[in-house]
Amino acid sequence: MIPQLEEALAVPPYSLEPGARELLLIGGLGELTQMHYERCLPYRRIIDGYWKGRTGFNRLDDIPYLPVSIFKTQLMQSVANSEVKLTLTSSGTTSQAVSRVPLDAESSSIQQRALASSLRHVLGCERLPMLVIDTEEVFKNPKLMSARGAGVLGLMRYGRSHSFALSPTLEPDIETIKRFLHQLEGRPFFMFGFTFLVWTSFYEKLRDKGLDLSAGVLIHSGGWKKMAERAVGNAEFRAALEEAFGVKRIHNFYGMVEQIGSIFLEGPDGLLYPPNFADVIIRDPRSLEPLPNGSTGLVQLLSLLPHSYPGHSILTEDLGVVESESDGVDGWAGKGIRIEGRLPRSELRGCSDVIGMAA
Amino acid sequence: MTLVERVERLAGMAEEPFSSAMTDLVGEMSNAILADPETKVVPQYVALAYWMRAAAVKRLAKDFLASIPDDEVLAPRGVALHLPPTNVDTIFVYSWALSALAGNANLVRLPATLSPQAQSLLRVVSDTLAEAGQAERHLFCTYEYGGEIEREICRRVDLRIIWGGDAKVESVSQIPIRPDGLTIGFPDRQSMTLISAQAYDSADDGACDDLATRLFNDAYWFDQMGCSSPRLLVWLGDDRECRDDLYVRLEQVIRQKNYSADPAVGMAKLGLANDFLAEAVATSAQRYSNELQVAEVEEPQAALLRTTGGGFFGDVHVESLDEVRNFVGRKVQTITHFGFGRNELVKLARSIAGVGGYRIVPVGEALQFETTWDGVPLLSHMTRRIVVRA
Repeated sequence: MIPQLEEALAVPPYSLEPGARELLLIGGLGELTQMHYERCLPYRRIIDGYWKGRTGFNRLDDIPYLPVSIFKTQLMQSVANSEVKLTLTSSGTTSQAVSRVPLDAESSSIQQRALASSLRHVLGCERLPMLVIDTEEVFKNPKLMSARGAGVLGLMRYGRSHSFALSPTLEPDIETIKRFLHQLEGRPFFMFGFTFLVWTSFYEKLRDKGLDLSAGVLIHSGGWKKMAERAVGNAEFRAALEEAFGVKRIHNFYGMVEQIGSIFLEGPDGLLYPPNFADVIIRDPRSLEPLPNGSTGLVQLLSLLPHSYPGHSILTEDLGVVESESDGVDGWAGKGIRIEGRLPRSELRGCSDVIGMAA
Repeated sequence: MTLVERVERLAGMAEEPFSSAMTDLVGEMSNAILADPETKVVPQYVALAYWMRAAAVKRLAKDFLASIPDDEVLAPRGVALHLPPTNVDTIFVYSWALSALAGNANLVRLPATLSPQAQSLLRVVSDTLAEAGQAERHLFCTYEYGGEIEREICRRVDLRIIWGGDAKVESVSQIPIRPDGLTIGFPDRQSMTLISAQAYDSADDGACDDLATRLFNDAYWFDQMGCSSPRLLVWLGDDRECRDDLYVRLEQVIRQKNYSADPAVGMAKLGLANDFLAEAVATSAQRYSNELQVAEVEEPQAALLRTTGGGFFGDVHVESLDEVRNFVGRKVQTITHFGFGRNELVKLARSIAGVGGYRIVPVGEALQFETTWDGVPLLSHMTRRIVVRA
């Protein structure tokens, strides 16, 4: 593990103020760029061919980035095949191609350690009883063992005495929920689910059942696209859950498999905060030049975690804006970000139109 | 009346090729396109109108008729069905106009949704036909592929012209037309540009800017997604300065013409450039802007196969024209050129004759419609002959 990451993990997870974070990241990301340059041939070709071979930098926004699509089209791997412990995959909803992220033993433990450190910030040091707002089928049924199953399984590690709030048909299992709450006798607990499921299968079906979840911390993720169709934004989501169940501690998070373990957690102001070992640069979608805080653009994700594949600097197709940047309010330092959805897709069509599309 | 019934009625409506009524009508349509406020501002439509102007049509007729032997009388084929591509929204008029001049009754199947621009062209075409009392003989419509309607239409058709790629040609061809009918398919094609570095180096500023403008027109009309749009630039001679100079000028033309690509297309181009580098198809890549991405390639065949459109160019150099043969495959259609003489070009044509290539024309003429397309002399195929001996 590179020393800069050790340093970032040694202090409270969202505590590094912008100046110190930038210094740490410039050093660490430079080191990772050099390391992957030496170990990953396709990456070296890209650095040589697109970035003039540069691997040393003075500024964060000089650090080379890969377009996120490359994890779908190429196998980007910086360790020998025999070292790969598992290859994570995720399928985007709009594309059949799947991202592939190879992890060796070290990277796998790095990402777990980093994720644990981030989650401790909102869950505390002790593992809490956990109510999974999903069905147990999600990882028992191989057909469902997709990004959702992997996500649930990944988060379950940070809770104990798990109960599943939904039936295989995604209906609320009210008996299980009541039994779970009864056993707790008011002690704190942890809930996790995908945003859309939390809303449609949990909140909408249970809002008038008088459940008291005020001792719980809810962590949810999965994007707002489907929620936007229902005209539910983050503020509405928080207000509704508090009113129905008394749950106040709600944290959305943003992350992607291409930077597994690096999660931006929602602070009390509703903004998403990158952990100490990560950051974002917002870039103009046309010029790809960095934009000042307050402007919406493409989100470039920086993270010190990826050691087994060159995913430490990725230009995503998500749009976002840095709303604030501070030395720390209530333990949340750095950039406060809002994600505003994806770059609208647009594909140019050739003469060779497929009949189905040509209709 | 149903569409099938209307197609049925087309059967008796073919007329003598190149009737003066039809040549006049095509000329009138040209005037109408140039007079209409919506169509006259679209460069592709102006080029179309220019091609259809009365004088050009008369010359076309004269040249073609001169090629017919004395003991053959020209006749129309009958009912022609045109299946234009969805992206190049002038092909439906070119294809129709040639067939109409050949005397055929025509059915043009359009995509269900047309761009507002294409709608304006269609409006001018329909109005001109209606005014000339020709609306019954030339139907512009849409119907679903793969259904009973398509079968019913096809069995009444003497000539079917399929524009739009391998998959479309293959699937449409499975539906039978009249037993004595003829189907012409225009499948996937790719195109490239050939530039002599020496000629470029000795050209003055004006000539270089002119080349950049013509390259822009070839590539950026139809968002570089036409079969004839160049996607690979081949330089004879290795002169990096020339190459960069041309791309800088092209970038200026892109700004002047206000061409803009969607940021998602820009991202797709960045993605493809990175893919080419990762796969060692390219050795270097440069993003001039959201609208212009260039990848210096080592494997031109691979670069020809993949594109995003919207301003993505592979760039390669050769030491001799003989090398071009190595990456001209069956799918290569147009080679536009700058800085070569006729003898060199004929030599090039001979050297690639066995492998591919259908047109070798100056830069700026890539999208110019030709009556010989993909090697098929269209008017000959759109007509038939009656042999007459006394």
